[in-house]
Amino acid sequence: MKLRMKILSGFLILVIMLAVAGIFSIYELMSISSSVQSLLDDNYKSIDAAKKMIEAIERQDSGLLLSISGEYREGEQMTGKADRAFLSALDTAKNNCTIPNERDIVEDIDRKYGAYKAIWKDFSSGTPANYDMDWYFGHGHPAFLAVKAAAGELMALNDATMYQTASDLKNRMHRIIMPGIVAIVSALVFAFLFNYFIHRYFVNPIISITTEVQKILKTGKPFSVEIETNDELKDLASAIQDLSFQVRK
Amino acid sequence: MRPYIIFRYVGIVLLFNAAFLLVSAAISFHCHQPDFLPLLYSAVITILFGIFPLIYVPPSSYIYNIEGLVIVVSSWLLSCLVGVLPYILYGGEFTLANAWFESVSGFTTTGSSILNNIEALPFGLLFWRASTHWIGGIGIIVFVLAVLPAIGQASMLLSRSEISPLAMKNFQYRTQKTLKILLIVYLSLTFLETILLVACGMGLFDAVTHSFATIATGGFSTRNTSIAYFDNPAIELVIIVFMILSGIHFGLLYSAASGKIRYLWKSSIVRFYIGAMVVGTALVAICIHGNIYEKWSYAIRYAAFQIVSLGTSTGFSTTDTARWPAFAVLIMIYFTLQCACSGSTSGGIKVERILIFWKSIQTRIKKLKHPKAVVTLKMDNAFFPEDVVTTSLLFIILYLGVVFLSTLLLTGMGVDILSAFSGSAACMGNVGPGFGTLSSLANYGQLPVAGKVVLTVVMLLGRLEIFGLILFLSVRSWK
Repeated sequence: MKLRMKILSGFLILVIMLAVAGIFSIYELMSISSSVQSLLDDNYKSIDAAKKMIEAIERQDSGLLLSISGEYREGEQMTGKADRAFLSALDTAKNNCTIPNERDIVEDIDRKYGAYKAIWKDFSSGTPANYDMDWYFGHGHPAFLAVKAAAGELMALNDATMYQTASDLKNRMHRIIMPGIVAIVSALVFAFLFNYFIHRYFVNPIISITTEVQKILKTGKPFSVEIETNDELKDLASAIQDLSFQVRK
Repeated sequence: MRPYIIFRYVGIVLLFNAAFLLVSAAISFHCHQPDFLPLLYSAVITILFGIFPLIYVPPSSYIYNIEGLVIVVSSWLLSCLVGVLPYILYGGEFTLANAWFESVSGFTTTGSSILNNIEALPFGLLFWRASTHWIGGIGIIVFVLAVLPAIGQASMLLSRSEISPLAMKNFQYRTQKTLKILLIVYLSLTFLETILLVACGMGLFDAVTHSFATIATGGFSTRNTSIAYFDNPAIELVIIVFMILSGIHFGLLYSAASGKIRYLWKSSIVRFYIGAMVVGTALVAICIHGNIYEKWSYAIRYAAFQIVSLGTSTGFSTTDTARWPAFAVLIMIYFTLQCACSGSTSGGIKVERILIFWKSIQTRIKKLKHPKAVVTLKMDNAFFPEDVVTTSLLFIILYLGVVFLSTLLLTGMGVDILSAFSGSAACMGNVGPGFGTLSSLANYGQLPVAGKVVLTVVMLLGRLEIFGLILFLSVRSWK
């Protein structure tokens, strides 16, 4: 291999080391940004929807209790408002099923909420006489707890996924930093190696050739320098040898 | 000494490592797993470092003794460093100390792991982990010689550093032929075991990685519970047979495969090796029968696997030996120290040295009875000169000294005595699992960072048969 290629190869290797580390870091950075986006879009939206559902179902439960206790109008107003809020949050959750099993949980909430609403739908014309606290603890309260637990399950699932995504982000941060560190350390080690080879295969032969040429000038001894490599330095040594031979002739 | 020649040969070893890193990266890419970039970047760095000396340094037709040793040890150390790259780039459980431990454990074919959850690792890294065993198993230097045109004296000097000197005494093959034999045996065993494991119901990926670990007598598994995960007597039987085969001198295996099976049984070393494992299995089975296992079949099955696994320095496990009685543990510690035959991929003191030890006691007693008699140490019709015997005995003393020193250091760091001693012996013998908190189904992750570093030095000392590393460190004082 010629000198130009040898020197170029050294610098090329350094460039490749740093460039590849840079490309990998940029790729990981881009995937981090999409992870953060999905964390906000997928998990946070669902957690927020689950929170709103829990708040709404609690208000509906309070409305139901008000109705049973005789405050029919206030109770009706409260449950109606909470029902709209619940359905809106449920709709958000339905349109944001991004985790495995999430759709099943949302469908379960929908089913349980339907069952909950079914038990007090005949309240529309006032509180029936047989709807008292015994009825509430026997039917209303268990149905309310079932809906609340299902919404809680949705929140827990998204919380766990959010934690997992955050842990992955930590790992990805590690994968952004490490190629840089490895590239720096490798480049340092490589610089020493490159320097060693430059010294051994370029500088040393030049020094030997120079010394020998000076010897010829001073003593007129024949030129003899052994060059191991098959490059321009070998050609130079051989040319000087020919020259010294011609001069001696 | 010519450092540039060393750079060239070590560069070739690095390129060999890079080839395996690329295969691991391809597996990762195929499975769409997050270890693709760490493996690819490690491969790129390794290729660049490997190829650079080849551009500058012209080939050399001869290698001096000192250069041979430095190439062997440097190849090992640099391969361990390269092995660290994919682990630290991936992260997870791999801190710098953990990555170094896992890499050294892989290349020295020890098989001790720091991982709590091996199954969480992506396939590419699992393959790389098994590959470190396979590369280390046959000895990086063999690959250097197999791919190089360098022949004659150079090859001989290098292989002397690599293979146990006793094995070289026993078999007067020419070096080139020895290398070819080693490679043929190594590849054939790996291929054959993979086929048999697949036939027994193991998946192809698991079969390949477990074959890598068995033939190299390594012990890295792709499962948290090692071979116990499969709970398949046929798989266990196949692995037992291949662990035993991998513990025998590869030259003898080649002779046996060439139709000279009688050579195997004629060798007193092989007879002692097999006989000791049969006796060990029987003693442990008797000990654990009733105490741990109600049925004899289970006692024999688990005892045989554990004894063969430790006695060949592999380190796979089918059960948690932490519950086994002290008598069984002591027998297994003996096998952790002894291990298998020279000329195999096994670590430990080795059967030959143990035999020399016993026979030298016999000759000493004869000498005491008959002070004027000329008593020589003879094995398989070959006389052992005094210096071979002395070196063997000195090796055993040094070996135990290193184990003791490592135990001392680990106990100083707060590790309990059983774990410290068995862990040190297991790392020195390149076996893998110890006892106590480092038992067969546990891991080394809980050890302090300094403890892990101590054990990696012990692993390297064990792999390079102590003298190799000592000579490497004192290379400046060579004349």
